[in-house]
Amino acid sequence: MGNFDLLMQGFGVAITPMHLLLMVAGVLMGLVVGVLPGLGAPNGVSLLIPLTFSLDPTSAIILLSSMYWGALFGGSTTSILFNIPGEPSSVATTFDGYPMARSGESTRALTLAFMSAGIGALTGVIVITLLAGWASNFALRFGAPEYFAVYFLAFAAFIGMGSAAPMKTLVALTTGLLLSTVGMDTITGSVRLTFGYSELLSGISFLVVVIGLFGIGELLSTVQEGLRFRGVASRIDLRDVLKTIAELPRYWATSARSALIGIWMGITPGGPTAASFMSYGIARSASRKGKAFGTGRPEGIIAPETADHSAGSCAMLPMLALGVPSSATAAVMMGGLMIWGLTPGPMLFATQPDFVWGLIASMYVSNLIGVVLVLATVPMFAALLRIPFAVIGPMIVAICFVGAYTVSNSTFDLWLVLLFGLVGYLFSKLDYPIAPLVLAMVLGHKAENAFHQSMVLSDGSLGIFFANPLVSTIMAVGIALLVVPKVLAFGSRFRRRIPVE
Amino acid sequence: MTVRRFHAEIGTALVTGAVGATAAIGATSLGYGWEESGPQPGYFPFYVGLILIAASIWNLVSAVAAHRQASADASAGGEAEEPFLGREHLDRIGRFMGAMVVFVIATLFLGIYVGSTGYIAYSAWRQGKYRPISALAMGAGFAVSLYVIFEVIFRIPLLKGPIEPLLGIY
Amino acid sequence: MTYLKTALLAATAIAAAAPAMAEWAPSRPIEFVVASGAGGGTDNFARTIQATLNREGIIDNSVVVLNKGGGSGAEAFLYAMQNEGNAHKLIFGTNNAYLLPHVAQMAYSMENLDPVAALALDEFLIWVKADAPYQTATEFVEAAKAEPGSVTFGGSQSKDTDETLVSLIEQTTGADFKYVPFNGGGEVGVQLAGGHIDAHVNNPNEALGQWQSGAIRPLCVFSPERMAESEPIHDGKGWQDIPTCQESGIDIASYRMPRTVWMPAGVDEEAKAFYTDALRQVAESDAWQEYLDKTSQTGVFLSGDELTQFITDNETSTVEVFAAEGWTSQ
Repeated sequence: MGNFDLLMQGFGVAITPMHLLLMVAGVLMGLVVGVLPGLGAPNGVSLLIPLTFSLDPTSAIILLSSMYWGALFGGSTTSILFNIPGEPSSVATTFDGYPMARSGESTRALTLAFMSAGIGALTGVIVITLLAGWASNFALRFGAPEYFAVYFLAFAAFIGMGSAAPMKTLVALTTGLLLSTVGMDTITGSVRLTFGYSELLSGISFLVVVIGLFGIGELLSTVQEGLRFRGVASRIDLRDVLKTIAELPRYWATSARSALIGIWMGITPGGPTAASFMSYGIARSASRKGKAFGTGRPEGIIAPETADHSAGSCAMLPMLALGVPSSATAAVMMGGLMIWGLTPGPMLFATQPDFVWGLIASMYVSNLIGVVLVLATVPMFAALLRIPFAVIGPMIVAICFVGAYTVSNSTFDLWLVLLFGLVGYLFSKLDYPIAPLVLAMVLGHKAENAFHQSMVLSDGSLGIFFANPLVSTIMAVGIALLVVPKVLAFGSRFRRRIPVE
Repeated sequence: MTVRRFHAEIGTALVTGAVGATAAIGATSLGYGWEESGPQPGYFPFYVGLILIAASIWNLVSAVAAHRQASADASAGGEAEEPFLGREHLDRIGRFMGAMVVFVIATLFLGIYVGSTGYIAYSAWRQGKYRPISALAMGAGFAVSLYVIFEVIFRIPLLKGPIEPLLGIY
Repeated sequence: MTYLKTALLAATAIAAAAPAMAEWAPSRPIEFVVASGAGGGTDNFARTIQATLNREGIIDNSVVVLNKGGGSGAEAFLYAMQNEGNAHKLIFGTNNAYLLPHVAQMAYSMENLDPVAALALDEFLIWVKADAPYQTATEFVEAAKAEPGSVTFGGSQSKDTDETLVSLIEQTTGADFKYVPFNGGGEVGVQLAGGHIDAHVNNPNEALGQWQSGAIRPLCVFSPERMAESEPIHDGKGWQDIPTCQESGIDIASYRMPRTVWMPAGVDEEAKAFYTDALRQVAESDAWQEYLDKTSQTGVFLSGDELTQFITDNETSTVEVFAAEGWTSQ
């Protein structure tokens, strides 16, 4: 069956009244968590996962992914209206979005953002649709060494391509790896690093850690900054919306370039945040004339938003096809997949076509729903930020703790949320990246298992990681990702230093 | 009191190093060598722990170096090291954290519904300057919506204390 | 005399049982604690019972399912320990309840659990890739004997049912396999279909899809008699066409995994009788038969002394294997 037929079949799965309802609910909830600082996409999705246990996996992933799109849209709203990025990936949108809104063109800024976001998402899904069939052909060639190579590649990419100090990335990554080893290890059948606490026997849930790191951690940062949200009025005028849509084709070059950047960063583990910054930077250096960037340039909104959303949707592909998430939210969703009893990886396309294609089809529909809903409800959600922090702050805190409790009904997890809240706050203040920690918690144990299985298969010889062209190629790419950026950085520093001295 | 970035960097590096050491020591009791069926259970945590210790030492050393540099700049009339947390910040964070810890402890004893009602009502009353009645209404409203969403719609039981059974809610 | 005695005994039994059931009934929602993650075999087991209880009107109280699959299910049994005497919690597991404490240091022991019933036995089969050179179990074992350590057996987890069975095959036949642990039956299945391992011992339900698609085929089943009749699944063959392992030369009469229901220790006998009766009604329902057919499990109903006897036998024979392999933690 061709991709097109599969996609049509997927639409059959996705477009049912129940699923449409879930999409609307997901997008709306996503808007709320996107708008509220302290509740972002990764921990919004974490909070929702326990609620999906009673749904079938297809409905569950539709709900979660719709929430993700909603959160991406919601994050841009507060960036533009309040100069507060609701999501890390919408930081770049504040640069030109807020100035444009301040100068009285808030409708134009919002419309530009949402339309480019929609365009970005759409190109992302089209790319997934085209590549997905090809991914499933790979299905059966992945044994334990290949899986290990892929996890190695993901870790290498995070260390090599991340913008934070490499040693701080390493600290975050290894901390996550250690956390993932706590508890009963099913592969060796032994209990590890529990230090006698039976609460730790079942391990530390990454969901609880994410809720602490992102939820409580971000909230503490907000508290430190003084609990005040100041915003621009947010009435949406339909005529302005249409006028703005009409001016969009003028920026086709920016849109196309940003979408490409987003697709690349989404498929490689760069993630939406890196994509939006990169796209903004390139748009700025590519512009020739006109108002300076940072004063409300349309391209300054289009570039980060398009890239952000195309990266966000493309991040689903490596998650589904390889089991390698390229953003924190994708990592959380992948954890959800495993909880529902699905094994992410190439086999998923072969064994669960309804799930995969239902999800892909739903991405077309829910992004459309997202654009419409966000335009219709922006004033309402922006009003949430006018609720005094003394009320909304504690509510967010309570939601985080309730969410953590529902993960495994354990009161011990409440203390973990507190602890990781502090860790998240300190880490972000001191420029330790958090995403590698989450990635390591989700993938660490799988990587270790794959390594262990490979060693059993090869009787302890590392040669198994270079035993065939497939695994050798993946390992080589991983090593290159680890080494090349460092060499380039060292080289450029070296070149720059010479003329100075 | 002011916390400087230097202090925070040093403290964090020491703690991450300690985490690495704890893991490495804990792993030794599991065996960290190789056996017939591949690496022993402690192999992975042991070496990852060592890497974490090494990276923490690196961060410690570079924090000290940055501090020396900044002090040197400061005495040369340059820019002094940025303060990490001022008195005001510490105050605000401390109060917020304090309320949160009390909320967690209250939740353990009284359940999530009573805990969150009290916590939200208290914050709205003290920090939000709402009248006690409306503050309490906000807290109770929040708890009721939790109940409806979790227990009624999704059938997920939340933590309950001694009070709910008296109201006939299990 | 004997007749009269039996009748009297029966009468007393009924007299004793009837008020017992009337005496106790659940007064609040019942929690089903599942010793596996959502979507696993044990989870399906518990959710099928939940649905049957409510649909057939056996219990009117609402039933909440909680998944506590951490630590190979230990989390659920620890939870039972913490809820001693609580008559509104049932724990769903397999034989892991009594086997786990043997292989790892656990804070709970069998003292903390009270067995209620076993409702099904899940079968184990030897599966190989469809194009594998071996046609029978004997050929397969001979191949492993010819080159010790070259035939790889994949299985779910270490020191658990799968590895125990593989060790048991080794001990009975003298063959030497290489055992590779994976996280669950699904993962193992994919590895076999991809040819990365040579065989596995998945349950019928876990392997059905790949047998249907012709990627793998069964060699034999570890049960005393052949499995129940079914529609042809692949190449005109159904479950009943699979030889038992004993008839194809591996001298293991029976190796099956019970699906069990437990209560925290210290619960009143009346409450236990209530649940035993409710579960018996489930086991007799059509919905239950449908579940057994769909998952190709064998239906049983064990409770009381019968169940205790079954557990003791199963525990003793399994711990023998553990001891021979040097897995026991004490």
